[in-house]
Amino acid sequence: MNSGLFQNMAPNAKRSFFVTVALAAIATVLYLFCVQPCADELTAAKRRLAELQDRQYRTDVDLKRSSTVAKDLEDLETALKPFRDAMLVPLLESYAMRAKSIIDPLALGAGLEDVTYSDEPFRALPLPTPMPRQLHTRAAVKLTATGSYQQAVSFLLRIEKEMPLVSLQQLDITAQQNPRSQSISIVLEWPAKGGLTRK
Amino acid sequence: MKASSFHLNLLKPSENLSSSPVRLRIMLPVGAILACAGLLVWWGVLFTQIILAKTQAQGIEEDLAAKNSAHAEAIQKRDLARELKLQLEQLEYYKSGVRAIGEPLAKFAEIVPLRVQLKEMSITPPKPQVLLPPGLKVPLFGPTENVETQKLVIAGLTTKETPVVSLMESLENGFEKLVTSEHHINSFKQDNAEIDGRKLLSFEVEYTMPERRFAK
Repeated sequence: MNSGLFQNMAPNAKRSFFVTVALAAIATVLYLFCVQPCADELTAAKRRLAELQDRQYRTDVDLKRSSTVAKDLEDLETALKPFRDAMLVPLLESYAMRAKSIIDPLALGAGLEDVTYSDEPFRALPLPTPMPRQLHTRAAVKLTATGSYQQAVSFLLRIEKEMPLVSLQQLDITAQQNPRSQSISIVLEWPAKGGLTRK
Repeated sequence: MKASSFHLNLLKPSENLSSSPVRLRIMLPVGAILACAGLLVWWGVLFTQIILAKTQAQGIEEDLAAKNSAHAEAIQKRDLARELKLQLEQLEYYKSGVRAIGEPLAKFAEIVPLRVQLKEMSITPPKPQVLLPPGLKVPLFGPTENVETQKLVIAGLTTKETPVVSLMESLENGFEKLVTSEHHINSFKQDNAEIDGRKLLSFEVEYTMPERRFAK
């Protein structure tokens, strides 16, 4: 019936039909091969542009903040200085020997005798969140000596005055026959670099 | 009846013209042309937008490249500041746990009654830290608890109980940095030591010390 209708069409109508079909084909080709790829490319270009704009914004913000960060760094370095100064660093891999070099003058000044130093197990410090890359720990050194109670206390007072970040962990004063030469054992703590379990 | 209105219809059905002023055979190609033109315009607009977006992107890339070294430095400083802040925080934990009891220990010598002879005074070791709790395969980097409690043990000899009670009463005031009010008498018994022919009594008192709190 349709073919009959087409055959019965006037020549003008036939021409019009063919022109329309040809134009529709061109429109389809235009859409599929020009408009659609262009639209895809534009989407990609816009996405890339948005990413770049975002990166540029963040870069500008970071650069604007850099002066504040520099000030913060300065403040942090100032705040960390007392800790760095107080930090116990090993002497030929011995913390006890470093402690000896630092506190021997104070021990002898307080009148303690037969002073010996030995390493004690370190203790871990609680962790902030997030965890820093450089951990710190509580380095402990045991001092044993003989002397009076007053001399031991005098030594502790000197330590507290000269080294406010050194802490007393353990103390043991045991009476001996001579009250001037009692057995004294003191464990002191320093801040030190390094975690207990971090590799 | 008018005879002139009768005639033979010689037209084929397809030759019948529509009474509508809109001719389909004209409108269809026109519509198709317009569609093509529209698509061409659309393509042009898209193409222009692509060029604009790419030009803008190129400008931003150049800007970023110019700022690259300064930005890298800023990032490095920011990361360093972050790291130092965390290190400082952990060291502040240490600082808050520092124990300084030289003064109360010095003062302690003044409150010991004459009839008390101290044999031993000790601060017990803190509890061992558990960095590998049961069930964990990898050790922890830090303790789960940030508080440490230790005891102060005072042991000695006396002639009777009153000097010890007096010592304990004296420790209740002005020794907050050394001991808390929590205490326990570990022992109070007769000793073999003698003075002036009298058997002495030995005692041992254990005080809980103030907590060492490793926190902000």
